Amino acid sequence: MAVRTRRRLAAAALAAAVSIGLTACTSTSGGSGGTQQPLKKEDLVLVASVINTTNPYMASMIEGSKALSEKLGIPLKIVDSQGSSQTEISQIQSILAQGKKVVLMVNTVASSDAPPIVNAVKAAGGYVVIWWNKPDNLEPWNVGNNFVAFQKYSGVESGQCNGKSIGDALGPAGGGVIMLPGVQDSTTSQTRVAGFKDALKAYPSVKVLEERPANWDQQKGFQETQTMLAKYGDQVKAIWAADDAMMLGAIEAVKQANRPDIKFASDGIYPPTIDYIKQGVPIVGETFHRGYMAASIGLFTAYQAATGALDVSKMPQEQRDSLFKLACVSPQNYQDYTKYDSNIPGWVDTLIANGPFKTEPTPLVGQGPEKLPS
Amino acid sequence: MSPIKAGSSAGTTPAEAAPAATPSLAKRLRFDVKSAGELGAFVVLIVVFAILNPSTFLTAKNIQTILNQSAIPLIIAVGATLVILMGSIDLSVEGVMGAAGMTFVLMSANSRGGTGYGVVVALIVAVAVGMVLGLVSGLIHTRLRVPSFIVTLGVWYVGLGIATLLFGTEQIPFLTSDSLKAWPTSLSLGLPNSFWLAVLLVLVGAAIGRYTRLARWTYAIGNNEQIALGNGIPVARVKVINFVGAAGCSAFAGVLASIQIGAGSATVGVGSLFLTIAAVVIGGTALSGGKGGILRSALGVLLLTTLNNGLILSGVSPNIQSGVSGVVLIAAIIAAAWPYRGRLRVSK
Repeated sequence: MAVRTRRRLAAAALAAAVSIGLTACTSTSGGSGGTQQPLKKEDLVLVASVINTTNPYMASMIEGSKALSEKLGIPLKIVDSQGSSQTEISQIQSILAQGKKVVLMVNTVASSDAPPIVNAVKAAGGYVVIWWNKPDNLEPWNVGNNFVAFQKYSGVESGQCNGKSIGDALGPAGGGVIMLPGVQDSTTSQTRVAGFKDALKAYPSVKVLEERPANWDQQKGFQETQTMLAKYGDQVKAIWAADDAMMLGAIEAVKQANRPDIKFASDGIYPPTIDYIKQGVPIVGETFHRGYMAASIGLFTAYQAATGALDVSKMPQEQRDSLFKLACVSPQNYQDYTKYDSNIPGWVDTLIANGPFKTEPTPLVGQGPEKLPS
Repeated sequence: MSPIKAGSSAGTTPAEAAPAATPSLAKRLRFDVKSAGELGAFVVLIVVFAILNPSTFLTAKNIQTILNQSAIPLIIAVGATLVILMGSIDLSVEGVMGAAGMTFVLMSANSRGGTGYGVVVALIVAVAVGMVLGLVSGLIHTRLRVPSFIVTLGVWYVGLGIATLLFGTEQIPFLTSDSLKAWPTSLSLGLPNSFWLAVLLVLVGAAIGRYTRLARWTYAIGNNEQIALGNGIPVARVKVINFVGAAGCSAFAGVLASIQIGAGSATVGVGSLFLTIAAVVIGGTALSGGKGGILRSALGVLLLTTLNNGLILSGVSPNIQSGVSGVVLIAAIIAAAWPYRGRLRVSK
């Protein structure tokens, strides 16, 4: 039933696209997925779809999208999925039905959202780049040129980076670690957890005491940490979180328990994390990647495909199912990376100059799908 | 509208029913059995978890953790109980918490700059923001006759929207005062301050529930709104006051939650709504209104927080924890509702 409705909507969008195409006397052949004439800049609209607008990472994605939209001089629409796949898909469908050619970057709420979104965009003759979540077997080159690429940062690498930092920081004495993964069925969290445990194999004296999913949520990170400290007390020597929001909650709980010896490692080096590092909180390992970089790389890739600057059918597979470089940083060298935060429009300029795959500090480094360590 | 039926008003509210006739010994005993349901479940939980985790569950540290974690739902439960007693419901809890929490953080000294206006002013404004949201809920519900369920659902998202706007796309605002952040978990007389604060509010709420006309009217409305109206009770005004009070409680809880994590977050209240409503119902306050009380809800909150903590300490895997806590929840409700299972009792 849902599929039928979706098809009907897609058909309606297709009909709208075709009729607009006819009246404008262009040769746009929406929906075929085959060769398509490059689109004119003034016919385009940039669309950035994010999971919500309250998470700092999502806020950063919106910031990057805005910066790119201003630089390119193309209007931008933000889709706020409000954490719901249904909201996400229906909003994207209604934007597609409005007629302008859509250049879409979508941070999917769930992997299973990718196929319907890709199909709807293809039917409407737009271009889409998906960030973070898609089913492993849905490859852009099997769908066609309208699904330009899938892009992400390696979760395994992030976890491995953190695991090594904590292992090194605890030294030969080792000790117990509490793990705070994100939402349990998130592949991003799962890959980071797998990477973290993989790295700890090299440190037999470091023991994982317990894994408590904290749902990417600061408040939950705080509460879980409180309970874990009550349960394990002095055995806890380090806390790992799958992203900084949860770690910030954990740091607050640890501070209130007066345990300045507990070490932390996590992913994302948010600005408040930097403040804590400066204050001397023992955050021993972090990874650097940014929402504004991800979003603008994704949108720019789709934009270049739409304007013909990138010939999608000739792109190598690693440019269509891509892993971008994630920097493993320490309290000593993080400033080499966070310096980009103070001038986001400036960074977007270098992105436009160098193209989506070669811009420091986050060039393309490998092809997906990501493999979990055995 | 309808003629006043003699005697009906006295029969509808427990507070007024009590002095009407001296209850027989059997009746009094039955009442005790009714209260014992929840208390019994609570004691059983404590005993079971203490046996399962002899070295961790009954430690001072863990008890402090449980009490600290129950502070926020306790505060929300005070207001939620008043609303549920009227047979209405307030779903706006999480939105109000977000809006008030963000307001408080941005008006205090925080990492986005500025020295703020001091804790007291920030607290007053934050709670006022929450109360205005409650006023909106109450007025729309009573004047425009929209069911409270749907009004407060809307206000939930309005609150979340306000919080999101305040959050903006700038960096997370962090509270800069370490002493403020440490206050909730700091101990006074061996128990965390946050818990004392919650106890104070619960006692104030319970006193209102026991001794004021407002509370008696609240029970009356929950029992039968038509009759309450017929007896000249200012139903609309009572409802608005309760919605404002409930939102004030949620706002206060939002401020406390923000102080605890030391940062502003639009989603600071996530998860609070379900926990609180479940606690109120487990405590024995009927969703249909008219029966129950704030102290019962407080017991419900302690029961749920203890359950959650105990399951974690017992090493129940997070994969099955939500399932297990659901099952235990249903078991607790059955135990609590056992004395009420009269053949003619309608449960919806």
